[in-house]
Amino acid sequence: MKARFTPSRQEDLSLITGKGHFTADHNYPGMLHAYVIRSMHAHAHIKHLNLDAVRAYPGVRWVACAEDLKALGAGAIVNAMTAKGKDGEEQILALMPILAEGTVRFVGQPVAMVFATSALCAQDAAELAEIEYEALEASVDPEKTTLSSSTQLHATAPRNVSLHFASGDAEQVNAAFAKATYASQLRVLSQRLMGVPMEPRAVVAIHDAEAGITTVHTPHQGILGMRNFLAMASGAAPESLRIDANDVGGSFGLRAGAYTEHATLVLAARHLGCAVSWVGSRSEIFLSDWHGRALILNGEIALDADGHILAIRFKDRVDLGAYNCMMSTFIGTRNLSITMGGVYQIPALYMESEVVYTNTTPVSAYRGAGRPDIAYAIERLVDFAAHEHGFDPVVLRRKNFISESAFPYKTANGSTIDTCLSEKLLDRALEISNYATFEERRAQSLSQGLYRGIGLSTFLEASGAGTAPKDQAWGEFNANGYLYVYGVTGPSGQGHSTSFASIIEKALGWPADRVRYEAGKANQKLLGNGTGGSRSLYGAGSAILAMCHHMLESIKPHAAKKMGVDMAQVRFENGIWLANGLSLSTNEIIDALANEEKTSLNALGEASSGATYPNGCHIAEVEINPSTGETHLIHYYAVDDLGQVISPQLVRGQVHGGVVQGWGQAFCEQVVYDSQGQLLTGSFMDYAMPRAGCVPHLTNETYEVRTQINLLGSKGVGESGCTGSLPALANAVMNALRPYGIDQMDMPFTGPKIWAALQKNKGAMNLK
Amino acid sequence: MSQISLNINGNAHKVEVEARALLADVLRDNLKLTGTHVGCDTSQCGCCTILMNGDAVKSCTVLAVQANGAQITTIEGLANGPVLHPIQVAFSNCHALQCGFCTPGMILATAGLLANNPEPTDAQIYEGLAGNLCRCTGYINIVESVKQAAKVMQEKQA
Amino acid sequence: MYSFNYQKAQSVEQAGAALTRSDASRILSGGMTLIPSLKHRLIQVDELIDITGLPGWRDIRVEGHQLWVGAGATHQSVSRHSEVRTFSNGLSELAGMIGDPQVRARGTIGGSVANNDPAADYPAAVLGLNATIKTQKREIVADDFFLGMFSTALASDEIIEGLRFNKPLKSAYAKFRHAATGYAMAGVFVAQISKDQWRVAVTGATDCVCRWQEAEAAAGTVPKDLRFAHNNVLNDIHAPAAYRTNLVHILYAQAVSHLA
Repeated sequence: MKARFTPSRQEDLSLITGKGHFTADHNYPGMLHAYVIRSMHAHAHIKHLNLDAVRAYPGVRWVACAEDLKALGAGAIVNAMTAKGKDGEEQILALMPILAEGTVRFVGQPVAMVFATSALCAQDAAELAEIEYEALEASVDPEKTTLSSSTQLHATAPRNVSLHFASGDAEQVNAAFAKATYASQLRVLSQRLMGVPMEPRAVVAIHDAEAGITTVHTPHQGILGMRNFLAMASGAAPESLRIDANDVGGSFGLRAGAYTEHATLVLAARHLGCAVSWVGSRSEIFLSDWHGRALILNGEIALDADGHILAIRFKDRVDLGAYNCMMSTFIGTRNLSITMGGVYQIPALYMESEVVYTNTTPVSAYRGAGRPDIAYAIERLVDFAAHEHGFDPVVLRRKNFISESAFPYKTANGSTIDTCLSEKLLDRALEISNYATFEERRAQSLSQGLYRGIGLSTFLEASGAGTAPKDQAWGEFNANGYLYVYGVTGPSGQGHSTSFASIIEKALGWPADRVRYEAGKANQKLLGNGTGGSRSLYGAGSAILAMCHHMLESIKPHAAKKMGVDMAQVRFENGIWLANGLSLSTNEIIDALANEEKTSLNALGEASSGATYPNGCHIAEVEINPSTGETHLIHYYAVDDLGQVISPQLVRGQVHGGVVQGWGQAFCEQVVYDSQGQLLTGSFMDYAMPRAGCVPHLTNETYEVRTQINLLGSKGVGESGCTGSLPALANAVMNALRPYGIDQMDMPFTGPKIWAALQKNKGAMNLK
Repeated sequence: MSQISLNINGNAHKVEVEARALLADVLRDNLKLTGTHVGCDTSQCGCCTILMNGDAVKSCTVLAVQANGAQITTIEGLANGPVLHPIQVAFSNCHALQCGFCTPGMILATAGLLANNPEPTDAQIYEGLAGNLCRCTGYINIVESVKQAAKVMQEKQA
Repeated sequence: MYSFNYQKAQSVEQAGAALTRSDASRILSGGMTLIPSLKHRLIQVDELIDITGLPGWRDIRVEGHQLWVGAGATHQSVSRHSEVRTFSNGLSELAGMIGDPQVRARGTIGGSVANNDPAADYPAAVLGLNATIKTQKREIVADDFFLGMFSTALASDEIIEGLRFNKPLKSAYAKFRHAATGYAMAGVFVAQISKDQWRVAVTGATDCVCRWQEAEAAAGTVPKDLRFAHNNVLNDIHAPAAYRTNLVHILYAQAVSHLA
């Protein structure tokens, strides 16, 4: 029966009726359930491990520890990227074992896994494990971890340093500072966070011994990436793994690769000959999902007498956690350097980052993965410098924007920005936010005893360059009237199917509701990138656009035939085939074809799409109640250049989501460990999350500047909301508090923190 | 083990359950109604929200045995056959869902809210959704969809 | 959670007898605190005795100048009850501020009061109005009931049947929600019991709900130098003691400003 309404996204119907297919929804006959035994110590040797009683418990079929997995060919948890140190040295790597080998280095580290007839049975049995730990000193503070007095986590990494990275020209920067009229320094913290996608990590695996293929259901960010990382971790051949394109309950960077449970379950499915399932509890997820951010960014800025920025220098400390996992090196190197000049024309740039180990959960990519952090640091530094040296923060920015005539602009440390029209975005944002009349509103708030503040950020984003050599999309016209498009990237809420269908409707004139995008198909041999770095729309989208262009060429002869004219007379304009006053739609042509003719239209599209530079100007207006320190966000304005916009509604949704995640970091989220490495924020009871109403009013506009970097002309939007919001919100809070003697504070700007700072300064300011 | 009776989405069910079985798990595992999701273990995320005797409750914090004899509505039972509930329609129209994991719980919490307060103010909507977390949408479109659903439901009443 | 036996009590005596029989048995009311504790294996019980089916358990009725609230009355039912609203503005608004809507649909006043979580809301109203807690064995006035963190005067086999409140002239409750849990980081209940008698109860800020004598002496005014002094103001990663103390002052003023 036809639904009486058309959903605004293809993805919606199943999700709003409870017919989604999330990983934990899969139930196979005879399926076993796993429970992970985790370390309760942040740093300890495992002196004694006896799992006999666990194995003997009724209902338990297998108990795996490190030796068992090694015997089955397992590897280690993948570290996706390495970098060279500042003097060309190799990076020191400490890979995380799938299950602990002799030493545990963070609370929550997996030690063994129990497989039983039910999850409860496995958990009951696990309590019988006899594990004797010899506790060691833990090194938890990323600043102190490099001191000689701190415990060394890995024998290969003295001072707990994995990498000392640099980018840019130190000498040039030093020279600039030497001749600068003004200089400012600001150290900011981008605190450790949890990503918290709402679907807890889970894995279901089933092995078909005959075909030699293990099917894996799990939340992921793309079938190829997960497959490859899982192959490396488990030792299974990539072709023997099939990653299902099930629904994914959010990812934000955390689902790109294989965790302990993925690798162990693949091996278990093969070893046990039956389906196996593991569903994480939220408490486990807090301990074991890769954490995010955890950066200390120490920035300095040099200005001439007129306020031109002569140089920016950063000294950063990157907390890896206990091991090198997944994207952590990427964050501490490429992502802290590629946009370190922001939207400004700065002749000299230099950064160094020390990437260090602590006895905490490993850190990997979380929405923006270092770029929101560096944008935060730059925009706070610019505001700070403006105030320190008597410049208006808006005027100072304008003076330093990369001028339109300078594009494509090569930054002092080697990034080439194609276009970034900051001036225009700033003007628009100032207009819609009524920035010019802010001081009247500040006075009004003050008459009620409230401190109002306005803050802005003009920021640069850099989307993912992609690791695959190109993106491919394969399209097939089906006998049942649908165009099926196959690609690699997997959605986790972004609405890829809907966006890709929009691209096709515009480019091919084929109705969007007769397009089906499938993120992955068994045995498909397509190349491409998963979702990450905001690139799916333009990456896969450009491949799809290329596919449409090929199809147009194949359709043309059919159009000519159907209209009874020569090919030369046929043109395709605005989605319609035209010739001599006749017109036909694409679907009219194709629906009339025989199946073999339809098959001849099937096409492969390819595109290589490198990193793009989305950018924007965000403005936040806040009001602080000094009696409680609580900040109320009155209105948030976002003007974003995302290149060619395909779906305005989806773009707005991405910006909303990113801004609210930024709000969370700015006002309430923080991972806290005690000095022994015990996680104090181990559940939603202590890790505060944004809830409905935290951002009550958000006005977002786009200012489209097509990019030539990819066929689609789009720049990606997934992470811009975070990148723009951290500095806008922070600058607004500082703007509200500066009159009271406060010019630096780190996130999260909680009520108690703001209140305490105001109290402390009360005496100094002689305020009532 | 004991046998309990549940009326779920208008259908009577008899299920054998352990005393320690949670209603959320019985719905998902015994009755294969996997639309109700489990997102946390401290009763704070609201993904497991269902209607029990008309009230929105977190099914992860109800023992199945406590629900013996209750009338339960899950997300699968909200639509009237092929005709979607105005809340479901509004959620899609307003793009109030992205990954969809929190969505069933969010929709049922909305149903509970509107049953008691058909024309909620913004502040009342924030309060009404205080037990539900979403990580994707930023809530802005969710609040819009609650308002849209309220309007449609009021018009239907009139 | 660990396995246990579940039974639905037919009478409060039967429930009490089960508690006497074994100290590994527990009463189940709304379950909003007990079930999460069981899920995390923080406690192990042999028998869970569900008392929500007992006759009259959820009754809410005004009897002259008194209000009877059955132990099984949900927060939702108390907050929506029109007679409770006219009886005590503070009690009514407090019930509507507990947790979130889903919690209010299940959580009960008996469960909350028996648990005496230092951050719970109800103890502030119960102490603020000096309610009487009736068990199957005796009656205890609020002033004698709340002994310490998670500790009350209840014997291990004693079950709350309900609470009896005396009608105040005016009352109000103001609460500052904990950003993560939604519990009271601080909550202040102010009640004018009679022309010259005031009671002020503070929850959330210390290790147990307590009265604030200086505020009571202020008789519904907010003197500039009024200070909340207590030996055990809570100090944790969310807020230092000074902040909670500050909240108490602010919430007292807020409650006073909307006394009804």
